[in-house]
Amino acid sequence: MIEVKELTKVFRKPIRGEGLSGMVKTLFSRKYEEVRAVDGISFTVPDGEIVGYIGANGAGKSTTIKMMCGILTPTSGSVLVDGLEPYRKRRQVAQNIGVVFGQKTQLWWDIPLIESFKVLKEIYQISDADYKERMAFLGEVLDITRFLSQPVRTLSLGERMRADLAASMLHNPRILFLDEPTIGLDVLVKEKIRQAIHALNRTYGTTVVLTTHDMTDIEDLCSRIILLEKGSILYDGPLTSLKNRFGNLKTLTLTVPAEIRAETAPVLSEEIALAEEDGRLVLRFDADKIALEQVIQYAFRDLRAMDMKIADISIGDVVKTILEQQEAEHAEKV
Amino acid sequence: MRYVHLYFTCIKRSMISRLEYKKDTVVALFSFFFSNFCSLAAIYFILQAIPALAGYSLYEVGFFYGFSMLPIALDHLFSDEFWLVAYRRVKEGDMDMLFLRPVPVMFQVFAETFQPEGFGELILGVALIAVCSANLTVKVTFGAVAVLCVGAVFGAVIITSLKVAMAALAFIFKRSGPLLQVIYNFSSYAKYPLAIYPALVRALLIFVLPFGLFISLPVDTLLHGAHNPWLLCGAIIGCAAVFFALAVWVWTACERRYESTGS
Repeated sequence: MIEVKELTKVFRKPIRGEGLSGMVKTLFSRKYEEVRAVDGISFTVPDGEIVGYIGANGAGKSTTIKMMCGILTPTSGSVLVDGLEPYRKRRQVAQNIGVVFGQKTQLWWDIPLIESFKVLKEIYQISDADYKERMAFLGEVLDITRFLSQPVRTLSLGERMRADLAASMLHNPRILFLDEPTIGLDVLVKEKIRQAIHALNRTYGTTVVLTTHDMTDIEDLCSRIILLEKGSILYDGPLTSLKNRFGNLKTLTLTVPAEIRAETAPVLSEEIALAEEDGRLVLRFDADKIALEQVIQYAFRDLRAMDMKIADISIGDVVKTILEQQEAEHAEKV
Repeated sequence: MRYVHLYFTCIKRSMISRLEYKKDTVVALFSFFFSNFCSLAAIYFILQAIPALAGYSLYEVGFFYGFSMLPIALDHLFSDEFWLVAYRRVKEGDMDMLFLRPVPVMFQVFAETFQPEGFGELILGVALIAVCSANLTVKVTFGAVAVLCVGAVFGAVIITSLKVAMAALAFIFKRSGPLLQVIYNFSSYAKYPLAIYPALVRALLIFVLPFGLFISLPVDTLLHGAHNPWLLCGAIIGCAAVFFALAVWVWTACERRYESTGS
């Protein structure tokens, strides 16, 4: 169980001038700007839940995770992990959580993987019987047995990520924090990792907090998502209601002849937003309001499309739409 | 007891890392012998050029030099990773993983590297002491030997404590390597008898950065019976205890201000 209350993290940064002369001036300046990386967020994650923690780059996801696992001390507010504050009772909390940062490995770079696991076994005081059982389980769900004797630096990214995941699960943590565990991986490895998370959650009832930019991760794994933007929570609830909040949004990307431009193209309906991106024409619309079939006909007949790609709304688009709405509301108030 | 066991597990890990790169190991071994040979030659040349220093004979100065290597070598064996903390690891956010494990962060930094190069310095220091002692006629007392042992071991504790405290400042300043370097360089002052320095520097080397306390004073005690050995033992041990306690306190206070880096 994780309880987050009014959690805030402020970083103080000196205001810097540009170039060398600016940097020298900075040395003598006392001006600081405050960056509110996380700004008064609250939520609770019950045992056994898989929560997707999403948002654009720099939204404050990693900062929150780092406070929840005891790396960073909050500026104000509190985090309770199974009733303990991670930044005060760091060691006790560390025994009960597992953490993977997709961008950084926690394994020792130049020793065989199995040696890393042996050191972790000592660090977490895992009994021989538990260790054997965990290695069998992880060897199976993550398929790591094959490269156990290889040094970590020789592993491929996919192998390394599976190894990192195994390392974080070795001591059977009650809570697992995964910060972009599928970043840069191919579809097969992503699939393997998702299955492992599922297996772990089912077998041991492990609570999982996961950040990702991959919509498929979210759809496969998470019953609930928390959407963060500029350090604040914009949405906290089931994935389906977030997606349906804007209707059944779809994106159509078309390759069209050069003379067809977004501004001058024939218009079918006000419901379709046209834009040019990377020399292609992009159509955005709500498939509940205007039939997909109709739009496709329009694309081939009126826009003379030569090629086409249909996609569901991406998480980026959801965030963008919510933000645009927020700004609009804000503008109305002013 | 758990930590002793854990320490050895980690050190074993560090040695495996070392041996992982075969060519690198060979190069390291070679450069280790070569650099030690060079420092030995340098000491020989210096001693050749200085027949006597502030009333100390050639072999007495050699003894000083040899003894000063012992606490530095002991410190080098166990705490080399703090240099990386001070120069790089905090700045690059490379401490994250240490905060995730149920073991004190400071312990993990100690256990991260064991630097066998320290043995070379230790052997070199002892050899220099042996050669110089053979050419000296001093009355060796039990007290003087005791104070030398205490000076070497607890001197290492003091050097390590200074290192830990300076490295901890990296949590606030992001990089404290140069500061650590400045403090560390003071140890080269202690390679010579305190008598050659003006009173102010002498006081500094006894009361502030006590390199003189655990190097010069014990050696003076052996060579000239200058101080009461048991009092000096007490002073060195007390000083080491205070420095170590301060270092742990500074580290713990600074550790909480670690900011990591964006990903």
